[in-house]
Amino acid sequence: MLDILHDTEIIGVITLTLRMTLLSTFISSAVGIPAGLLLERSDFAGKRFVVALNRTLMASPPVVIGLVVYLLLMRRGPLGFLGLLFTFEAMVVAQVLLLTPIICGMVYTAASRNAGRIRAFAQTMGANSRQTHVLTARELSNEIYFAVVTGFGRAMSEVGAIMIVGGNIRFHTRTMTTSISMLRNQGEINQAIYLGAVLMLIAFSVTMTTDFLRRREQRTDENF
Amino acid sequence: MKISNLRKNYEHFALNIESMEIRPGRVYGIIGQNGCGKTTAMKLLAGLTPPDSGSLDYEGLTPRDITMVFRKPYILNDTVVNNLVYPLKLRGITPHNGELDHYLELAELAGHREAYAPGLSGGQQQKLALVRALIFSPKLIFIDEAFSNMDIESVAKFENYILHRQTTHPTTWVIISHQLSNIKRLCSYIYFMYNGSVDAHGAAEKILSSPENANLRRYLQHEGM
Ligand SMILES: Nc1ncnc2c1ncn2[C@@H]1O[C@H](COP(=O)(O)OP(=O)(O)OP(=O)(O)O)[C@@H](O)[C@H]1O
Ligand SMILES: [Mg+2]
Repeated sequence: MLDILHDTEIIGVITLTLRMTLLSTFISSAVGIPAGLLLERSDFAGKRFVVALNRTLMASPPVVIGLVVYLLLMRRGPLGFLGLLFTFEAMVVAQVLLLTPIICGMVYTAASRNAGRIRAFAQTMGANSRQTHVLTARELSNEIYFAVVTGFGRAMSEVGAIMIVGGNIRFHTRTMTTSISMLRNQGEINQAIYLGAVLMLIAFSVTMTTDFLRRREQRTDENF
Repeated sequence: MKISNLRKNYEHFALNIESMEIRPGRVYGIIGQNGCGKTTAMKLLAGLTPPDSGSLDYEGLTPRDITMVFRKPYILNDTVVNNLVYPLKLRGITPHNGELDHYLELAELAGHREAYAPGLSGGQQQKLALVRALIFSPKLIFIDEAFSNMDIESVAKFENYILHRQTTHPTTWVIISHQLSNIKRLCSYIYFMYNGSVDAHGAAEKILSSPENANLRRYLQHEGM
């Protein structure tokens, strides 16, 4: 069997994929979590519009995001001078645009369900505003965690956007998903399956480990 | 505290409290049928919701001196003991073990110290919420049906505790309850609410034994007195 992806190359592809996924999840969480919490507790004229826009962006097709980033970064595009097209950074930018609305939206939804009660409770306990914010984030940590894991899963499995802006360049922007897609095009089904299995394994082990590290499960039975 | 001309309008409900006086160290009761506005009034008094108009004079009390306990309390996603110490932690106070044990005993949760609090039963959660509100010695405590899921023995225990505590640490209490036995044992002054406003008020013995207000008479009748 001809190895298109040699062992060392596979390691490189896996590392690149993990680096891209973790970095994009980290940036999107750093932006999306505070944004979701802030959106819940602020009240302004266009809030409903912002929420609706967020909902729309949560479902935006990756290829469209990829295309938008491509148009921005292409040589004659408005950000072409940065020279980022077909780089690792371009893929991270596309991923962040995809993930941030998802994380923000999920955090917002969880917060709008529970933050009111949490704030009222904090007030009855005599918490100041900083203590109230800390408590809100802590009490929503299960939901926030779930949003981050969802984002991570999306980043890890996404192929459409990074294919367009990264270009699946060997040793450079070739990730696991773009490799699988390429291998399938080349008829290397066995290798595609092998790589797919590795991808699943990594995704599972990451989420299983973090799940395990979070000791407590939230009790959801409300009818006591 | 003094309350005057307090108004709050919701789409299908209007609250209008012309005047109310809560004097320090006394135990007040608020009674009235479902939906008459007791909880709404209490949240306004406790400063949890802003009124549309009217004034609330706390006479020197700060938000940190006031607490409110709900029928379905908010329980932190943490252990029983961490729930209990939370208000102390906010104030930078390190609790001593004797104090924690005392309140855990009172709530009959000594054996559940490290248990995951949201997993407690409804009555246990109410007991936890009550001792959590007592541990930081607030000066004004609002209770909204916070005994409703407790067994009869536990209710009696808390009633005795409150009455005893009043002799050593006089605190101001405002209690909403549908259990009239509760109100009768604890409260010295009653506000009867009807349809969004205070319809009758007076000293507990007097107003409960010989009510002059027709709505209150009907309410007490239906409550099986
Ligand atoms: N945030 C709100 N928005 C709209 N309506 C509200 C709101 N809060 C309370 N109400 C309305 O105010 C009315 C009084 O409610 P409230 O909870 O004060 O009654 P209650 O006297 O405490 O009744 P219960 O004995 O059942 O607890 C209800 O009709 C309720 O629908
Ligand atoms: Mg009520």
